Amino acid sequence: MRKFILKYLIPRIIQFLTIIFVGITVTYIIPRLAPTDPVEAQISTMMAMGSSLDPASIESMRAALTDLYGLSGSPVEQYFTFWGRLLRGDLGPSLDNFPTPVSKMIGQALPYTLRLLIPAVIISFIFGNLFGAMSSYYPKNKALKVIEVLGQVVRSIPYYIVAIVLLVTFSYFIPIFPFSGAYPIGTRPDWSSLEFILKNLEHAVLPAATLILVGFGGWFVGMKSLTSNIISEDYVVYVETAGLSKNRILIHYIIRTAILPQFTALAMVLGTVFSGALIMEVVFGYPGIGSLAIRAIYSNDYSMIMGITIYSIIGVAVAVFLMDLLYPLFDPRVRYQ
Amino acid sequence: MKKYTLTRRDFLKQAAAFTAVTALTPPLLGEIPEALLAAQGEEEVAPGVPRNQCLILENPSGTVQPADDFNRWRSGYSAVWVSGLQQLALDALWYIDPDAGVDGVWDNALAAEPPIYNDDFTQMTVKLREGLYWSDGVEFSGDDLYYTVDLIKNTPGMGNQGLFESNVDHMEQPDRYTVVFYLKKPNSRFHAAFTVRWGALYIMPKHIWEQVDDPVAFTFNPPVSLGAYKLRDFDPNGKWYLWERREDWQRTSVARLGEVSVKYAMYIDPGPSDKRVLAQLAHQLDVIHDITPEGRITLARENPTSVGWFPSFPWAHPDPTLPAVIYNNEKPGLDKREVRWALTLAIDIAQVALASYRGAATISAIHVPPTGMYPQYYHEPLEPWLNDFTIKVGGEDYKPYDPTAAQRIADLARPSLGDLVPTDPAIIKQYIGAGWWKYDLQAAEQLMLDAGMRKVNGKWALPDGSPFRVPLMSMNPESNPTMNRAAAMIVENWTTFGIDTSLDSQANPWPIMSSGEYTANLAWTIETWGGHPDLFFFLQYWHSRLYVPSGAPSAGSNSMRWKNPELDRIIEGIETIAFDDPRGVELGLEFCKLAAQEMPITPLMAYNVFTTMDTTYFEGYPSIDDPYTDPVPNWGNTKYMFVKIKPKMA
Repeated sequence: MRKFILKYLIPRIIQFLTIIFVGITVTYIIPRLAPTDPVEAQISTMMAMGSSLDPASIESMRAALTDLYGLSGSPVEQYFTFWGRLLRGDLGPSLDNFPTPVSKMIGQALPYTLRLLIPAVIISFIFGNLFGAMSSYYPKNKALKVIEVLGQVVRSIPYYIVAIVLLVTFSYFIPIFPFSGAYPIGTRPDWSSLEFILKNLEHAVLPAATLILVGFGGWFVGMKSLTSNIISEDYVVYVETAGLSKNRILIHYIIRTAILPQFTALAMVLGTVFSGALIMEVVFGYPGIGSLAIRAIYSNDYSMIMGITIYSIIGVAVAVFLMDLLYPLFDPRVRYQ
Repeated sequence: MKKYTLTRRDFLKQAAAFTAVTALTPPLLGEIPEALLAAQGEEEVAPGVPRNQCLILENPSGTVQPADDFNRWRSGYSAVWVSGLQQLALDALWYIDPDAGVDGVWDNALAAEPPIYNDDFTQMTVKLREGLYWSDGVEFSGDDLYYTVDLIKNTPGMGNQGLFESNVDHMEQPDRYTVVFYLKKPNSRFHAAFTVRWGALYIMPKHIWEQVDDPVAFTFNPPVSLGAYKLRDFDPNGKWYLWERREDWQRTSVARLGEVSVKYAMYIDPGPSDKRVLAQLAHQLDVIHDITPEGRITLARENPTSVGWFPSFPWAHPDPTLPAVIYNNEKPGLDKREVRWALTLAIDIAQVALASYRGAATISAIHVPPTGMYPQYYHEPLEPWLNDFTIKVGGEDYKPYDPTAAQRIADLARPSLGDLVPTDPAIIKQYIGAGWWKYDLQAAEQLMLDAGMRKVNGKWALPDGSPFRVPLMSMNPESNPTMNRAAAMIVENWTTFGIDTSLDSQANPWPIMSSGEYTANLAWTIETWGGHPDLFFFLQYWHSRLYVPSGAPSAGSNSMRWKNPELDRIIEGIETIAFDDPRGVELGLEFCKLAAQEMPITPLMAYNVFTTMDTTYFEGYPSIDDPYTDPVPNWGNTKYMFVKIKPKMA
């Protein structure tokens, strides 16, 4: 145990913390290198909208917003202030939605993203891997060939097009799913109401379907290439000769061996769900983290970009860390060394 | 090759599938039957709100975050402003319509009459209407106006604080319905802050705000309304806002203009352009703010109930905003008038109009948008001058104006859009504009040589032979596809001419433009009242006393860094006369002539907004034939739509 802690756990914790520190620092720097700043973005948005602002108003607004947004000091001073706040769990106010705290906005959006993305990722993972392995093991099966072609065709089409085609097909030509949002326009979210939950599920079907369709092809190809070598391994030939059923061989001897790198990839993908699915949320008008992120990028809302990225960095780092710890459980060949 | 054989079972299966698809398709693709529409109209869009009583409009600012913050007076912009708040719930002293107006372009809304200035413009007296009430039953009075200005003036962090701090010495309230502003210095346009053109200073309910400790942090939720509607409900995620007509709407300022017949209005975030088109095809979105030209053409062809500002091509409402090629006049090469003119003559406006709006553009050769009343104020009076106008090219007089430009655009658009494009020259002039500048590469080349520029390896270079690079910045295709496509075509035109250029697409170019960190940019710096000829709306920023060199944010819209003594004279002339003084138009015409000679920016066209309205459930929308207001739904002025729009299935 002592060896595990010293040689395995502690280095990985240090690695984990370093990743987070470097990631957050880089995220702090990058938006500030952009040629825009949030104060000017606000003022120019108001002017581009057509508001009549006299020069004195513009000047006073510039000073007021700089002060309100906490952008008065030098970047280094702001950096230390930022870490001080972050360690207290305060991400500060959103600059584009001042004075609402970033954490409140993320807290509001994140459940929508997680409720949609996690099931979609897991479903595409299960089916992509299962069909990928089957396709490799049953190379003459026509149905699997069709599935493979369809999967690859969908995967090669830009996500936006897939989303729009499904939307047009199933919301307009065959109007069985709603156009937009996570629930009907005119409805207030009420998670204690079964009717609302069903409506939410109905709204989630199309966006989830697009993510599953697009994700499916990737898992399919990955698994097929991983299993293509395994099926000719001696131990597989041996169990076939021993007369085990094909399905048993597939599940217990082929998929089980090939799935390990896919688990690592799954952990990475699950880690990134904290940054949302930008295009999906825009196309389907879904009120998740992706929608917040795109608005924040357009307005150079430093605080919001930082907040979302911090969640994403921590999500990926935690996922990788956990996978590092759990990997030996999946693969007995791996030991804490 | 293996021969394909169809089994009996396969044949039967495929035949059944084909029959099912064929049987289902026509009702799905065709128009929705009347009976079905009527039934849909009875459906509720929110509890107790039938669809046919609820006008559904796009909020172009999208999702509102935070959804529950209605403080319209704080510094900074929020999408909640245009969620119906400034259109339906708030009210201001005066409105200037960007088009013709319900009862003229000027409307005394909360004010009983126009502003009354003393002779030297150091006092402005406001007389207010009596008998107007807030939605909670409290009467509106001068107390509210006085309190609003006083609070903002004394509260850093509120928008307009600088305006009132630098202008208002003190105020007096001689009676309950009169407020007198004593100004620190003469200001003949002080009333502009209170006059809605898109937005303005809206009046606060004193009885609510005086109980607030921190006005900057206050969320004003629920908003107490002075308009004809009050907030009924909203989405905590900011996707929709539902407004309900006040029972006492007759006690609001629009009531004197007509009956407010629409019982409910809902502002929603309908998503990207394609989805807005789909939503209107399904009659789920009555007023689209803007869509791509392709989306508009789809609606014109597929949805007979969709109407626009113009009854046919180009459909769009021309906003009183002037997209232009904005040159940084400080950059070497672009600091020469001849070079700016050469770049102008190297632009083929017909190609730009087709690339950007598929031809559905309203072009302008002069530096004011060809919209609202401006063709009457400026474009038509200047047409003879433009026809005779000359610039020096190679020492000779050269007439750069091409009066046939709009006709060329119509001719080029016709092959793809056919009968949708008008043929009557008068209609073409009204819809697409008059002339523009010639596309003349020979003259452009001579102008470059006149400026001392020279060609090095087929590209234009500065007089000393160093590179002359003119990257053209633009909004990116996601944020503004039409502007981006216009810029791409201009880059192509300039490349043909030998300019070393490229397209620089930016998600948000505005702050870059303000700081002058660009060479050329396709955006706008000129916006006007639309209905009123006064050009001080944008010229207020262009006087040399407010000049800020590149590297720091410009004081306002002079992002091209243009200064000119003659321009200063014109601005000073406008400042010293009253808002309605007829000499204002004369000075405006002088400005147009000066700008045409100097060409600090190259004007292109009106900012055409493809606002599209569905007449399935409602009628009476504004149009070129009944231009009572601007239909673009984020404008505060669209409150006037609600006295004209009527439900069809009442």
